[in-house]
Amino acid sequence: MGEANAIEVRELAKDFGEIHAVQGIHFDVRAGEIFSLLGPNGAGKTTTISMLSCLLSPTSGDASVMGHSIVREPMAVKEAIGVVPQEVALYPDLSAQENLAFWGKMYGLRGAALRQRVEEVLEVIGLADRQKGRVSKFSGGMKRRLNIGIALLHRPQVIIMDEPTVGIDPQSRRNILDNVGALNREGMTVLYTTHYMEEAQELSDHIAIMDQGKVIAHGTHEELVKIVGELDRIDLSINAEPGAIVEPWRASEGVRQVSVEEGKISLLVHDSNLMLPRLFESANRAGVRITSVEIQEPNLETVFLHLTGRALRD
Amino acid sequence: MRVLDLALKDLKQVARERTAALFLLIMPILFTLFFGLVFGGSGGEKDPRLPVGFVDRDSGSFASAGLRRLLEGSDTIRPVVLDEKAAARAGERVRDGKLAAVVVVPAGFGERAMAGGDARATLIVDRASSGGQTAASAVQAAVIRLLGAAKVAQLSAEAFAARQPFPSPAGRQLYLQEALTQTVAAWEKPPIAIAARSLQEEKKERPNPFAQASPGMMVQFAIFGLIGAGSVLVMERKSGTLQRLLTTPITRGQVVAGHTLGTFTVVFIQEAILVLVGQLAFGVGYLRQPLATLLVVVPLAAFSTSLGLLIGAVSREEEQVIMWTLIAMFILSAMGGAWFPLDITGQAFSTIGHLLPTAWAMDGFQNVVLRGLGAGSVLLPAGVLLAYTALCFGLAVWRFRFE
Amino acid sequence: MKLVDIALKDLVRSFRSAFALVMMFVAPLLLTGIIYFAFGGLGSAKEGFDLPVTRVQVVNLDRPAGSSGDFVAGRILIQFLRSPEMARLLQVAEVGSEAAARAAVERKEADVALILPEGLTAAVVAPTSPVTVTLYHDPALTIGPAILKGVVSQFVDGFAGSRIASNVVASQLGRRGVAVDAAVLEQVGRGYAARIQELGQQQGEGRLAGLDLQLPPGQKPSEERAAMMAGMMVSQIIFFAFYTGAATAETIIREQEEGTLARLSTTPTPAAVILGGKFAGIFITIIVQVIVLLLVSALLFGIHWGEPLSVALVTLGMVVAAAGFGLFVMSLVKNTRQSGAVFGGVLTVSGMMGGLFTTGVQNLPSFYTTVNLFTPHGWALRGWKAVLAGGGMGDALLPALVTLGLGIAFFTVGALLFRKRFS
Repeated sequence: MGEANAIEVRELAKDFGEIHAVQGIHFDVRAGEIFSLLGPNGAGKTTTISMLSCLLSPTSGDASVMGHSIVREPMAVKEAIGVVPQEVALYPDLSAQENLAFWGKMYGLRGAALRQRVEEVLEVIGLADRQKGRVSKFSGGMKRRLNIGIALLHRPQVIIMDEPTVGIDPQSRRNILDNVGALNREGMTVLYTTHYMEEAQELSDHIAIMDQGKVIAHGTHEELVKIVGELDRIDLSINAEPGAIVEPWRASEGVRQVSVEEGKISLLVHDSNLMLPRLFESANRAGVRITSVEIQEPNLETVFLHLTGRALRD
Repeated sequence: MRVLDLALKDLKQVARERTAALFLLIMPILFTLFFGLVFGGSGGEKDPRLPVGFVDRDSGSFASAGLRRLLEGSDTIRPVVLDEKAAARAGERVRDGKLAAVVVVPAGFGERAMAGGDARATLIVDRASSGGQTAASAVQAAVIRLLGAAKVAQLSAEAFAARQPFPSPAGRQLYLQEALTQTVAAWEKPPIAIAARSLQEEKKERPNPFAQASPGMMVQFAIFGLIGAGSVLVMERKSGTLQRLLTTPITRGQVVAGHTLGTFTVVFIQEAILVLVGQLAFGVGYLRQPLATLLVVVPLAAFSTSLGLLIGAVSREEEQVIMWTLIAMFILSAMGGAWFPLDITGQAFSTIGHLLPTAWAMDGFQNVVLRGLGAGSVLLPAGVLLAYTALCFGLAVWRFRFE
Repeated sequence: MKLVDIALKDLVRSFRSAFALVMMFVAPLLLTGIIYFAFGGLGSAKEGFDLPVTRVQVVNLDRPAGSSGDFVAGRILIQFLRSPEMARLLQVAEVGSEAAARAAVERKEADVALILPEGLTAAVVAPTSPVTVTLYHDPALTIGPAILKGVVSQFVDGFAGSRIASNVVASQLGRRGVAVDAAVLEQVGRGYAARIQELGQQQGEGRLAGLDLQLPPGQKPSEERAAMMAGMMVSQIIFFAFYTGAATAETIIREQEEGTLARLSTTPTPAAVILGGKFAGIFITIIVQVIVLLLVSALLFGIHWGEPLSVALVTLGMVVAAAGFGLFVMSLVKNTRQSGAVFGGVLTVSGMMGGLFTTGVQNLPSFYTTVNLFTPHGWALRGWKAVLAGGGMGDALLPALVTLGLGIAFFTVGALLFRKRFS
């Protein structure tokens, strides 16, 4: 086991009856880095971090968090991590301060140390002036901030955040992303799950792409993008059924991959400048009119599309 | 038309609640059955008179035997003879409600009574209960008759002795016993009897133990059922669908009217079913004056609806709906005569109870099912219910919030 | 320590909810208060004076009999009914015909029609065929007609007794061949009337004639009203304690839905401590509720609960039963939407079966008192009744042990089911 690794996952698997939610995954998270698990809904991200949080027992395999096995030493793991669940988990009829005080106790903080830490966290999350207010009266953004603040109370070495920006406004999202960066700069290891490529791209030192229970690729952003090499992605809409043109395009030289999703056709090509005229020409010949064109530089969505044949966002 | 659509939507939502059938129908029927059976009084016993324990420590003297005979002739109590073993726990049986009272005839009672002395039996009773009071009253009547009979025996003996001396003390004793026995026997067919009958019994109708419980539970659960309707309103407000409604071409008045119609329909159907069940299953005479019954049912449903609208208007959360509904139900039912007739309570309570619309609803129902009166007798109760409806409705509209 | 933190957090949440406060404290006290107000008149030393006045329409068909002179029994009875001491109970109006009196009752202008028959005086002064004094009353009324009947019966008994006395004396003397003259009968009549008057005076002094009153064991004089209220309050305490048990157990399901239960599992807090804290919260909440209700009701309604140790014993049994039953019932519920049926249906029916709605009702069917014993409520009620009757630890022991045992059994099953659910 590498000393520099905060989390090591070894052949971790979870079955729910016949469903193989996580299938023998393997990755490491280095201490002090931001690591993202990227994948569409249903990829197995939440199940993976539920196991790492010791909420679910693995069917097979193991993982260690700060050197403690999730199977054999769950309490030690829980001491080391702070978990921010996807859905806000707060007591609505208690105040912000009361929520923090209670959860602090659950993390083993007491007395003056607890009081001081609660004040500090309130400052960090920007709720010091609303600490006596009942959570039921908070805005969504304020609840999310408190939701994060609870995970920070006991100064965990690792913080696990499950899709913290789903369904919130752009400003609150921006705040959360900035907070994650700030926490990491203070030395905290962050394991972050998301299905937003831009977040993974912006935040992460390392990214693991998950799909259908497996890690299909992992590495830095640059390493992942290299998988698709110099391939550009062209997204096209046409005025006819895609079936009319997909085969001719697939057969064209220079086209690496064609996929159709919800009427939009995505192509991976070696050189978009070279390929575009050819695509237009073959469409003309087939009597099909191209109504919109978008060209993407290689990115994680391209990688996902290349590896799975499907779009990252469903 | 939109009003109807809205009302139908509310109906669907209420009907889909799994607890709707439970709260609206099953519980009132269950409670009616329960209270009717328990408070019916007879409890399935052959002799419906209150049981009063009888302990004879006077070795079966003529006086104690006479007292027992007088008690047996009572139309409100029946003596239950207790041996000494049972007598030891007699007081507990009174305390636990198994006996209405216990009469203990002490040793020497007969002797003192016949001598014209202060003969006193012991009565173990809880006069705080209505059963205890009834028992005490009946036992008192029997004791006075018995002591009177002892006096008659004494007077007769004196009258005889004034004309013919008794051959022996034993002869006198026999004379006294004969006089006592004859007097006690005469009370079985007194020269002046009292007969008390209700006008219903006059018409050869047997009292129906469900005649209080059935309308009482209908009134109570017409209010309890508002939990469903009130919750629908609160959920609409919380989820934003109420506000969304206003973005469609519908006026605020139509929205309120739609909810009103929906709630009214729920309560009316509930009451109609309970009336049918009451008539067919419990034999309560709602349908002998169907118009009169309708003239109570409709205003009651209207009042209940307006109350539900008011509760929905002032509540922010479902929990508040339940809380206000329960408070309203407890007060309106208990003080309105739904649980027990107001005539058995104190004067003040009965007067205050009649300030409440539920008391008038109960009056209306009783005029029909107990007194057999017609539509004319329910006009005043209906009017009071409608006045309260207007009041609650006005308050509800004033306090109604759409967001 | 964490277990206590979790329990206290639940207690705080309970007492912050207006709804919970109403159900824990306001509702039981309100219901008992209403009954206190309703029946406060009965059971006090001046019985019946707070009752509504009964409106009576009297028809006096009675006429003087041959030898009675001016004496008309019906007139004397009416004078008595109109006397000042009867004015607080009766409002008497005289009408000319039976039909008019009955019609007045039917129109609810009167509560009772009292018909004094034509031969009433004759039946008093001479041996004739028996007559009947008839009362027709509004079928919806019970107390007023019963009071009138009692008053009229006692009055009429005086006349009837006098007639019987004369008949018996005449019969006895006659059978022995002794002549009976008017003087003898008059003497008998006077002697009998004097005795009846003497007995009547005993009643007038607030006692019963020929009877010594004894209260059932455990009741003290001047505490009759408090005794009745104690019965009512006890049934409310038991019912709402069981409600609180279920409501606080429901918070386990609610926390599961809120996500805070899962979050608790991500903290270094063992599952046993988490569930243990929730369970402890149920107990503590009910104990606080019951103590407050016992104290407040003692102050408001003058209830004397009994020996402190016995009270503590039955309280403990009841609290354990309420907590265990609530936990068990909630462990069968999948989500908070289903719990409505529990509160509305299960709690009420079990309370009904336990006899909570019929305390103070006498002459209950025997099958029903047996059914009571199949519920923890019924045993809790038994224990309380024993304590209220002045019983000591010995009397309270069996019911307390049974409720404790039932509570532990329900609790164990409920706890196991919850553990299984969250494992």
